[in-house]
Amino acid sequence: MALSASGDTWGVSGPDFLAFYGAAIVAVAILAAVHRRRLLAGGSPDAVGRLGPQQVAHLTGGDRLAVYSALGGLRAAGAIESAPDKTLRPTGPLPAGVTPLDTAVYNAAGRRIRARDLAADEWVRSALQQLRDGLQASGLVASPERLRVARLWGLAAIAVGLLGVARVIAGTSNGKPVGFLVPLTFMAFLLALFLLRRGGAATRAATKGLADLRRRHQHLAPRQSPAYATYGAAGAALGVALFGAASLYSMDPAFAAEAEIHRATGSLSGGDASSASCSSGSSCGGGSSCGGGGGCGG
Amino acid sequence: MTAARTPYGVGIGWRPEIAGFVAGLPGLRFAEVVAESVPDDGELPAGLDDLLGRGVAVVPHGVRLSLGGAEPVQPERIDHLARAAARLHAPLVSEHIAFVRAAGVEAGHLLPLPRTWEAIDAVVANVRRTRERLPVPLALEPIAAIFDWPDDELDEGAFLTEILERTDALLLLDVANVYANAVNRGTDPAALLDEIPLERVAYVHVAGGAEHDGVYHDTHTDAVPRAVLDLVTQLCERHRPPALMLERDGAYPPAAALRAELDAIAAASGFVAVT
Repeated sequence: MALSASGDTWGVSGPDFLAFYGAAIVAVAILAAVHRRRLLAGGSPDAVGRLGPQQVAHLTGGDRLAVYSALGGLRAAGAIESAPDKTLRPTGPLPAGVTPLDTAVYNAAGRRIRARDLAADEWVRSALQQLRDGLQASGLVASPERLRVARLWGLAAIAVGLLGVARVIAGTSNGKPVGFLVPLTFMAFLLALFLLRRGGAATRAATKGLADLRRRHQHLAPRQSPAYATYGAAGAALGVALFGAASLYSMDPAFAAEAEIHRATGSLSGGDASSASCSSGSSCGGGSSCGGGGGCGG
Repeated sequence: MTAARTPYGVGIGWRPEIAGFVAGLPGLRFAEVVAESVPDDGELPAGLDDLLGRGVAVVPHGVRLSLGGAEPVQPERIDHLARAAARLHAPLVSEHIAFVRAAGVEAGHLLPLPRTWEAIDAVVANVRRTRERLPVPLALEPIAAIFDWPDDELDEGAFLTEILERTDALLLLDVANVYANAVNRGTDPAALLDEIPLERVAYVHVAGGAEHDGVYHDTHTDAVPRAVLDLVTQLCERHRPPALMLERDGAYPPAAALRAELDAIAAASGFVAVT
């Protein structure tokens, strides 16, 4: 016994280390999941129903979809058009009761800006900042600071991974088998990647509120070929906000194509949808299936 | 039969494109849906469920039975209509007096029948077969006569009356059609109203149209002309049907314009506004 103990790498037996290592991975995964859950718990689903179309669009597809929602509303109101050289231009007066983002986009159109350059426009950027601030104040999105804190758990996972690498190197030079440790180390790095990714900032309440809103406004889904003239500018803006850029193509394909609208933005299957990446945040619990790997130590 | 006679007032043709508008009509009690858009099973089109939940009567309107065809109507098509009626808890269903296929060839359109005794026999036989398999009453809609057949033996009023009396079916009267036929023939639109059994009218279609090169087209994509609304008033003065509905099939205008058309139908018929 004493002999074998003296041969253990770092004085810890293989099975003991495997058990400790597996437990460390599971602990990081669970703590990160619990923490993220708390960070993204804010707001109430009812608050989503009180948002304007562009705020809803921001929850669904970020800055880009918020701009698209403004474009949809202004286009449906007959305020802007696109030119073959891909620039926007105003065709009518700015409608009454518009948002700061509408005004910013309309003024950018007055300067014959291209739709894809809107997000870089100073005025549009400040209107988007205002939109984001409003959403954060409503508690429906987590602040960038909080999201950064949540991502710190990725560093913990990297530390666990590096420990595994060190043990594999030490163990190999010591002539010990590392067949179980290598895949566990790999899992630690996978977990790190998962925790470091830039997930959506929408809280669970926001995601639930969005789902409710989509159900209530099924008639705006592009597959219903909605009569946008009947639903008006507000309906067009909300359609884009809830069902993504595909709504713009359904409403005015020539305009959408000329304005170089990214069709997948905000689509439920598209990568841009923060709601999609958000739900995977709660599947963090899947990380605890690493616990099965811990059993290999026996 | 009594269910079909409950007064429903002003309704609208439900289409997926304007489902959100229809859902927002507070006083709505009657709507019509294209029967072919109601699946045999699975989910109902989004929005229809909510209408049914609100107690709105939703009537399936068939276009594919080909009741006027020389061959017997296909049983599986009747069963689809019956299934749609059951799923919607509809008080009745409607179909056209027309043919859409002959000798296995699909016309893709509703085609008018020659107004002959032989055609009446064929329609009556098909309506009997249909009613045997339907759980609810059937209303028949005469279609716009784009042309008159050279060997017509009866006028429109007599042709319709004969079919309705021999089948004991209800009538779905399209006043825009009546108007279009009369204007294009140069006759008085109201004359037909005195020749047909108005007490059999289950409900009425009111649609828009437009005149091109002196011919009035019943387009369903234009505004309802004043003259068609006047015909609604003339109809209701004789016998007010239980329901009248706006039939709009495309080029949907802003919500305010649709509401104004519904209100105009309500005003013309004396029913309360549903908007």
